[in-house]
Amino acid sequence: MAELSEFEVFVFSVGGQEMAFDVEHVSIVIEKTDITPVPRAKKNVLGVMNLRGRIVPVVDLASMLGLSCKDSAEGKIVVVNYEDIETGFLVEKVRGVMRVNSEDVEKMHKFDSFGEKSKGIIKKQEELIIHLSVGKILEELTMSS
Amino acid sequence: MNEQYLSIFIDESREYVQSLNESLLKLEKNPRDEETVNETFRILHTLKGMAGTMGFERMAKLTHRMEQLLDKVRSKKVALTSDLLDRLFAGVDMIDKMVNNVASGGNDQVNEEDLKSLMDAFEVVQEQKVEEQKVQSETKKESVDVEDSVMKVIHEASKEGYGAFKVKVTLAEGTIMKAVRMYMVFKAIEDSGGQVLSSVPPVEDIEQEKFDREVELVIIAKQDAESLHKMIASISEIERVTVTTIAKVQEKLKEEEKEREVKKEEVLEEAKIVEEKAQEQKISQKRRLVQTVRVDIDKLDTLMNLMGELVISRSRISDILRKYNIKEVDESLSQLNRITLDLQNVVMKIRMVPIAFVFNRFPRMVRDLAKQLSKEINFVIEGEDTELDRTFVEDIGEPLVHLLRNAIDHGIETKEERIAKGKPPVGTVVLSARHEGNNVVIEVKDDGRGIDRATVLKKAIEKGLISEAQAENLSDEKVYEFLFLPGFSTRSNATELSGRGVGMDVVKNVVESLNGTVKIESVKDRGTTVTIRLPLTLAIIQALLVTVNNHVYAIPIANIDSTLNVSANKIQKLQDKLVTVIRGEIIPLVKLWEVFGLNGHKEEQYYNTVIVRMGNRKYGLVVDSLIGQEDIVIKSLGKIFNDVRIFSGGAILGDGSIALILDVSNIV
Repeated sequence: MAELSEFEVFVFSVGGQEMAFDVEHVSIVIEKTDITPVPRAKKNVLGVMNLRGRIVPVVDLASMLGLSCKDSAEGKIVVVNYEDIETGFLVEKVRGVMRVNSEDVEKMHKFDSFGEKSKGIIKKQEELIIHLSVGKILEELTMSS
Repeated sequence: MNEQYLSIFIDESREYVQSLNESLLKLEKNPRDEETVNETFRILHTLKGMAGTMGFERMAKLTHRMEQLLDKVRSKKVALTSDLLDRLFAGVDMIDKMVNNVASGGNDQVNEEDLKSLMDAFEVVQEQKVEEQKVQSETKKESVDVEDSVMKVIHEASKEGYGAFKVKVTLAEGTIMKAVRMYMVFKAIEDSGGQVLSSVPPVEDIEQEKFDREVELVIIAKQDAESLHKMIASISEIERVTVTTIAKVQEKLKEEEKEREVKKEEVLEEAKIVEEKAQEQKISQKRRLVQTVRVDIDKLDTLMNLMGELVISRSRISDILRKYNIKEVDESLSQLNRITLDLQNVVMKIRMVPIAFVFNRFPRMVRDLAKQLSKEINFVIEGEDTELDRTFVEDIGEPLVHLLRNAIDHGIETKEERIAKGKPPVGTVVLSARHEGNNVVIEVKDDGRGIDRATVLKKAIEKGLISEAQAENLSDEKVYEFLFLPGFSTRSNATELSGRGVGMDVVKNVVESLNGTVKIESVKDRGTTVTIRLPLTLAIIQALLVTVNNHVYAIPIANIDSTLNVSANKIQKLQDKLVTVIRGEIIPLVKLWEVFGLNGHKEEQYYNTVIVRMGNRKYGLVVDSLIGQEDIVIKSLGKIFNDVRIFSGGAILGDGSIALILDVSNIV
């Protein structure tokens, strides 16, 4: 039997769907704050926010993943730090850290509307959580169009 | 090995390599310049010592060889031919390579074969010439007891108020570091404005401690014998000093002078050059006396960031206090403002470095290039004291290399061509820097063939960038802009050195990434001037805050000409573009909300307009309202916004909100 490995993910919900980032990339979660729109930016980019004196871009994760985004005043911003670059992702609710057994992750090839942005599906007691790849998402955002 | 010493070693070695290049270039122009030979010798000697201490034996050996060679030059046993200079240059390059290897974490290991052949090259020169010269110097000794060349110098120096002395120094018995003591004697003499002309035993023997206890020097100095005696005797471990004035020598010289009258003029001229160079030396030495501290760049950057935070906090506090209008605080607040402003200026200045840091390496590069292309070039550097932000220093080098290469390779014609055109055979390339308002202006100017408008246009038509009909009416400025396009080259066969076009594209990119602009001016057969304009600094700028659709944006003051209130009926349409006429000048107007792609803006009676300058042109940016002027700290928006060219960054305002900074050049 293959060796079991465990890892931790940070779970949140977007567009009514549970999703997760690898926990090591998540640096902080804040309440939705003022976002300054940046004209002519990519359409999934909401703008920039002031995070303790730093200017951090905020991305609308729902629209980026092609989900219907519930426009709500509330919401949280999950700030990830990937390769020393901070990016905020607007999400609806935050569930917290979850320990996952690698056995519970299924790479679903048929389900590829997310393409490479998804690393697989985490099955946890009947619940399905989409495991997102922070690296691929940021790659897509920084790609020059 | 101690890291700290290693980094000092690397820094200093690099500086010395630079000075070596400089002095070798000087020697190339005037091989008889004894002062510079001495200077070169001293640098090599210091480098040798440093390399030895750090245990870099190859470097120590190489510098030692070069030093020996120069000593032979110094004592006129070897003539400084251009071939010899080439070898010395190669030696300096080798040292540079070694230092770079050390810096990248290794040791002074280089290609052993290269090193050996280089060393042999120095050796060959030495052996040949030394043998030839030995006979001569012996015969000389019979006639006069002070060498001819030394006599000349003494004679010329006496006119300048120098006295000549014979100094006999006897070191105390059991002195351990004899060479060091003698070095102190040399240094004391040189520091007091004197000069050692010759010594017995010769300098290299003294350095290798190949002497017993006595050394005889012939020197020139401005002091009298007594104070010289006092000065030298004050050096410890010196047993006895005798100083005798060489007066008879002068008389003897006078007798000889009659015989030499024909030669005299030549000698005079020579001495004059030596004198001039000596003065130059003194000035540059004085300049080096400014006390400096080496600071880690990271620390400086941190300081700058903190400064930025402080500026933001200050504005925030002022904002809050203004609301409550407390009289007592006003005074302290304005004082705080003043202090932060001063502090900001100081921090900015710390980050400023003279552009010489960039320019320094070019004389050598130009020399090598000119040699390679067998062109004669008079390379002039102006304004190397001009200071600019150190962030630019790292980046601006590469574009300048491209521009200089272009100037030399494509700009300056061959000698024959120049003569045929009736131009001076030697081409001139001027690299200059100066401050202009809030900008640093760097210019590369050559007096070469200039850019051929027709050739550029032909190429542009070939590439389908423009139609023939359009081409005719294009202004020169627009024509030259094609040169900045990637892969646009006017030379059909790009040389190994530079294909114009490839480089220009890099130049434009780098300069624009630094918020600067670049412009080409050219007159056929008269030359080309490329002007680079950079902001003084990148970190903190003054900006005018404006609002568009209730969001605050910042326009750098450096771009702004004036602000106006334009009434709607003064706005006209010209070929689909909005313009207004101000004092007879047609100014295109840009409504910022349209640039931002925001719809539903209502028409108004009056439009607040910010007039900005781009090159020689003026444009009007129409905004909703003007807020005021403020110091802002520029922060990058991040990679995600790389394709948003209309903003150069963002700034956090006193109330914590973010203002996007307009990149005016990409809007108009």
